[in-house]
Amino acid sequence: MNVDGWKSQIKRGTLEFCIMLMISKRPHYGYEIINKLDTWAVLSAKESTIYPLLRRLLKEGYLSSFWQETTEGLPPRKYYSVTEKGSSYLKAMEYEWNNLLTAVNGIREV
Amino acid sequence: MDKVLECYLQETRKYLKRIPEPGRTDIIKEIESEIYELQNAGRTPGEITNRLGNPKDLAKAYITGLLEEEKGFSFKKFMAVCAFYSAAGLSGMFIIPILGIIAPVFIAMGAVIPVLAFIKMADYIFNIGIPYMENVKVVLNGAEEANPVAGFLIAVVIGILLYLTGKGAWKLLVLYCKKTANIKRSISA
Repeated sequence: MNVDGWKSQIKRGTLEFCIMLMISKRPHYGYEIINKLDTWAVLSAKESTIYPLLRRLLKEGYLSSFWQETTEGLPPRKYYSVTEKGSSYLKAMEYEWNNLLTAVNGIREV
Repeated sequence: MDKVLECYLQETRKYLKRIPEPGRTDIIKEIESEIYELQNAGRTPGEITNRLGNPKDLAKAYITGLLEEEKGFSFKKFMAVCAFYSAAGLSGMFIIPILGIIAPVFIAMGAVIPVLAFIKMADYIFNIGIPYMENVKVVLNGAEEANPVAGFLIAVVIGILLYLTGKGAWKLLVLYCKKTANIKRSISA
């Protein structure tokens, strides 16, 4: 039995939702996002997934970014925050997410 | 920064050439910042490059995302589609028919030639007198006819070569079609 193919399919859309949720609480930078996702094995993703995804969300106008100096002597970090367009996108995602959960639960109970 | 990591960034930058400035520099700066964070967390250069994946794949991940976002009409995309159909149409006009004929004919000949030579050999050894066998012969040096037994062995070798060529042509044809379909998918995505 191999559940990996299915897992990567559901992960694709879920990651976008989780990243938007995370950034909507407060601005985050890439490394921070990757580390936070790593806390949950099911969501853990590599740089080559997260950074291009962030870039796409940026291009679509759901996120905006700014560079900020660090206090730890590291080079500046690129922070992402949710734009107005992004927060309505997030609301729509939350609505659909709940729809999906309701539907799955509905089917399980039958 | 470590030499290995500097090379890594340079390589990635090279593979990102399809992304226009200032986007490209921004991407490189961000990857660089990520590398510093990983180093700060105690990862070795080897671990870092391993984690980021090879530069080509990393760049490809960015470029694939870019293609997806270019939905709708753009002049660049229109030109890409034109170039694709010109190239695919022109090359397809030759490649598909040539390979399409070579593949089945060579495979069939690979089977037919040894079978005929075998019949000829049987006819020769057992003196059966099968009609038209005088037309089946392996000619060496343009004039000399080989002994039917040797002829059979030569025919088997030639048969195998023809079969392999036919098989190769078939594989090329499949590969050509797949590649064309992939390019088509990537430009109209």
